[in-house]
Amino acid sequence: MKLVYKILAYLVAVEVAVQASMVVLADAGLGKWVEQGGVLDKAAMESDASPFPEVVGFMVHGINGMMVIPLIALLLLISSFFTGLPGAVKAAGLVVLLVVVQVSLGLLGHEISALGALHGVNALLLFSAAVYAARRGRAASVTAPAQSQARVGTAG
Amino acid sequence: MNETRRRGARVRLAVAGAATVALLGPLVWLWVGSLTPDTYSVMDMGYADYGGRTPAPAAGLPDHSAHLMGAGMHGHAGHTPAGRSVTSFTPDPGRPADVAVTLTARRERFRLAGGRSVDGYTLNGTSPGPVIHATAGQLVQVTLVNESVPDGITLHWHGLDVPNAEDGVAGVTQDAVRVGGSFVYRFVADQAGTFWYHSHQVSHEQVRRGLLGALVVAPAVRPPARTVDTVALLHLYDGARTVNGREGDVRVRALPGDRVRVRVINTENGETPVWVGGAPFRLVAVDGTDLNEPSPVRDAAVPVTAGGRADIEVTMPADGAPVRVHIGGPTGVVLGSRSYDPPAAPRPTTTLDPLSYGRPAPIGFDPDSPDRRFTYDIGRRPGFLDGRPGVWWTINGHMFPDVPMFVVAEGDVVRVRIANDSGEPHPMHLHGHHAVVLARDGVRATGSPWWVDSLDVGDGETYDIAFVADNPGIWMDHCHNLPHATEGLVAHLMYEGVTTPFTVGGPDGNAPE
Repeated sequence: MKLVYKILAYLVAVEVAVQASMVVLADAGLGKWVEQGGVLDKAAMESDASPFPEVVGFMVHGINGMMVIPLIALLLLISSFFTGLPGAVKAAGLVVLLVVVQVSLGLLGHEISALGALHGVNALLLFSAAVYAARRGRAASVTAPAQSQARVGTAG
Repeated sequence: MNETRRRGARVRLAVAGAATVALLGPLVWLWVGSLTPDTYSVMDMGYADYGGRTPAPAAGLPDHSAHLMGAGMHGHAGHTPAGRSVTSFTPDPGRPADVAVTLTARRERFRLAGGRSVDGYTLNGTSPGPVIHATAGQLVQVTLVNESVPDGITLHWHGLDVPNAEDGVAGVTQDAVRVGGSFVYRFVADQAGTFWYHSHQVSHEQVRRGLLGALVVAPAVRPPARTVDTVALLHLYDGARTVNGREGDVRVRALPGDRVRVRVINTENGETPVWVGGAPFRLVAVDGTDLNEPSPVRDAAVPVTAGGRADIEVTMPADGAPVRVHIGGPTGVVLGSRSYDPPAAPRPTTTLDPLSYGRPAPIGFDPDSPDRRFTYDIGRRPGFLDGRPGVWWTINGHMFPDVPMFVVAEGDVVRVRIANDSGEPHPMHLHGHHAVVLARDGVRATGSPWWVDSLDVGDGETYDIAFVADNPGIWMDHCHNLPHATEGLVAHLMYEGVTTPFTVGGPDGNAPE
């Protein structure tokens, strides 16, 4: 279960990187398309068809962010219950919390653009939290001998 | 010591298991509760909202005091057969047709003017389908034939307040027309104006891929000499912006002094601005209804709601200069171009507001003492939609299918307050009726009566609208950003005593959204 936990935590970090790259890919594609004479209004924006190929980045960002990452974070939290690693539940809980904040900021950014800026910053926090969570196992293996010694000591 | 450690491990496992159940239990419960049956009647959806009136005892609606589907109920409730079926609302069956059209739908690869090849759907070999022309008062008869559209098709007459049986909503007013089948629509085009038609079966996909066309009803009196009338139907095919199926400009002949009416139809899922370069213009009609005393406008853009229409009238300059009607961008309709095309004009920064445009006129009823008052509150929250996790739309705080069924009686004056706090605009479309806009964000309308069938409700906006319930049936009241409809932004308006024998799903695979 420790391995599952570790993989899920790193997966969150990788997903955050994917999110960052996808949204910039789409933004770059949009800019290029407008430079070439493309017109973006609400009608074009809401059209399911893709006016430029990089628009796939927006779609991936939306599906990944609103469905896939929350699901991974949830599984991470569940797996953390079973690891027995000190701090794992707290770290996974932090990841879940930051995912909730991230999705909320992403959606609210449509209304208040400044919250979109926080969405970008929170992504870095989420990435860090995911890596921190993944490294719980490592921290535990370093401190484990000392802990078991202490336990023997008190038992004796 | 070993014993203690083993017990500790067991306790820890039990705690972990309990925490997992505590976390997943509610989610599974919500997930199961969100599943909709494969086949259901829209009459079983959600809960009845009587708009502040007590329900009539003989209402066609079954005993729906409690929430039905969406609150843990699965399967068809079965209806009391009392009540009048939607299929009975038709025009005089003995009256011969004045305009008869056959539209044959095919799934095929076709070419747009300009050469782009599109894999989609056609009507009589083209998309957009042919423009249907009628004169006010004529009976229009359209025979729809499905040659090869696998999911089945229907046609909905967007903006025309046709009898309910002719409304073309799969699973509500008819079954989808399967491959090899046909359906005859008959209605009296009693209102002169600009309309359009489109499939209302898997509409979010079929409209995008081409099952649509324009419908123009000319006034019964002949237009004066020196008027030019043209349709400009906006549609995006595979992301390519077209007017009347053509990428780039559409050229229309017009002489100096001619009055040109450009009937802009937005078949897309989002609003588009329209503006005019080279001459002043008047916004003479919205959603198929003429405005009262519209004044000439310069340097303002007209917002055209998704699904909505705006008729722009330009009087051609006496010096023979051509005029460009922009539809959302540098291209659009070029009027009176001979030796040169007018250059593109940038979008004006001001936007024309129909709330205060034109002059007031009587609307024919008193909206201040309504028989029913409804709210249509649009929100958004995380949850499951038929088992799919996501952040979905809500209506009055409820998620599809646990949405209100707005119940009215024939003759009622109905007021609806549409409020949107969902983070995105929604072009709301009520079938079978035109509603007049009374106020936006509490500011009363001061211009011409603004009748709509498609109203863009921006994020944070509140609209008060009113209409007379004069067209009995069961009518969709949904977001015309069609993917939003698939995401649950659909409710219905139902008249007491009316029932439908059709179901969503079923053997014909009815899927109106």
